[in-house]
Amino acid sequence: MAASGTAFAAPITFNTALPVSKGEVLLRQQFIVTNLSDRLNGMKRDVTVRAGVSVLGYGVTPKLALFGVAPLVNIDREIGPMNSNFTGLGDATIFARYEIYRNDRPGKTIRIAPFVGATLPTGRTGKTGDGSVDGFAGLIFTAASTNWNFDSQIKYVANTRANGFARGDTVSADASLQYRLLPNTLTASTKGFLYGVLEANFTQLQRDWLGSNINPNSGGTQVFLSPGLQYATRRWIAETALKIPVVNELHGTALEPDYSLVTSLRFNF
Amino acid sequence: MLKTLSLSIAMTMLAGSALAADTGYKLQVDGMTCPFCVATSEKALKKINGVKDASANLETGVINVCTDGTVNFTDDQLKAMFLERGFTYRSMTKTKTCSADDSTQKSEDKAG
Repeated sequence: MAASGTAFAAPITFNTALPVSKGEVLLRQQFIVTNLSDRLNGMKRDVTVRAGVSVLGYGVTPKLALFGVAPLVNIDREIGPMNSNFTGLGDATIFARYEIYRNDRPGKTIRIAPFVGATLPTGRTGKTGDGSVDGFAGLIFTAASTNWNFDSQIKYVANTRANGFARGDTVSADASLQYRLLPNTLTASTKGFLYGVLEANFTQLQRDWLGSNINPNSGGTQVFLSPGLQYATRRWIAETALKIPVVNELHGTALEPDYSLVTSLRFNF
Repeated sequence: MLKTLSLSIAMTMLAGSALAADTGYKLQVDGMTCPFCVATSEKALKKINGVKDASANLETGVINVCTDGTVNFTDDQLKAMFLERGFTYRSMTKTKTCSADDSTQKSEDKAG
């Protein structure tokens, strides 16, 4: 989930600290395809998750923005001879972001904004959702100019227990550099920017709990590199990024991701 | 007599309106880094009665505003307006015309 702030250039796979103007509504529609596969003791395991994620943001004040995230999910599992396919609403997320630092200069800005939120059990437990209410909090740093933007985020997710299952807590750190490729020079008639984007996503996952037992085949460390492109105009942004795992150190026989393709459109009203 | 007086008042008002010449403003606004920032700022300015046009230079952070001469911006008004949009208003310079040149009519006002 990446709500992002507004139609500024912004990270593709996580958030920005750039503002949502007071009274402004933004809509982001993401399409994410993630594939996980391997062969365990000669048995093929293949899971494909397709998600259409709708994000609605609203600027309550120039500093405070509220976001709601609703995913529609299709999960296709093929574990040896067993197949399953579930489609439905996933777990929805709500969160608030508040700007605590701003330093504006001509054509430049630096913003810092913490955020806090919760994931709600709106999905079908065990199929398209976890069934638990999970809290998260983090901090975003953004430095933006007319030529490039840099965003970074740290985030902690505290997962709770539901129906005897508790997913492990996660700590993540993300960084994103967006560099303007076109146009080379700015004029009054410049209507859009094309950015080259490179993002890095680090996640440390703790092990899951099943009843009173730790699941040894869960948790670990993942690092993704996500190259992408982003076209930002005055009213909308189109973007795509491919999350490629460069470190997949998951415990035991946990299924490891092959890739994740993120495309999205953002609109401001 | 009353009809003549009304006509005189109407003609005076029309003449006054016709005499109001276009006036330009150069606004220094910091924190704008992208096409959307420009659109947001220009849209906010164009909603103000009497503003005929607004265009921003991203690199310098200067927004050229063309008014019909009936607008009198204040620092407090602009500071509040750009704050709501997420940007920082710094100063304005009033110009004799709406052209993008730098012919100024009055000294620069500082909003702090």
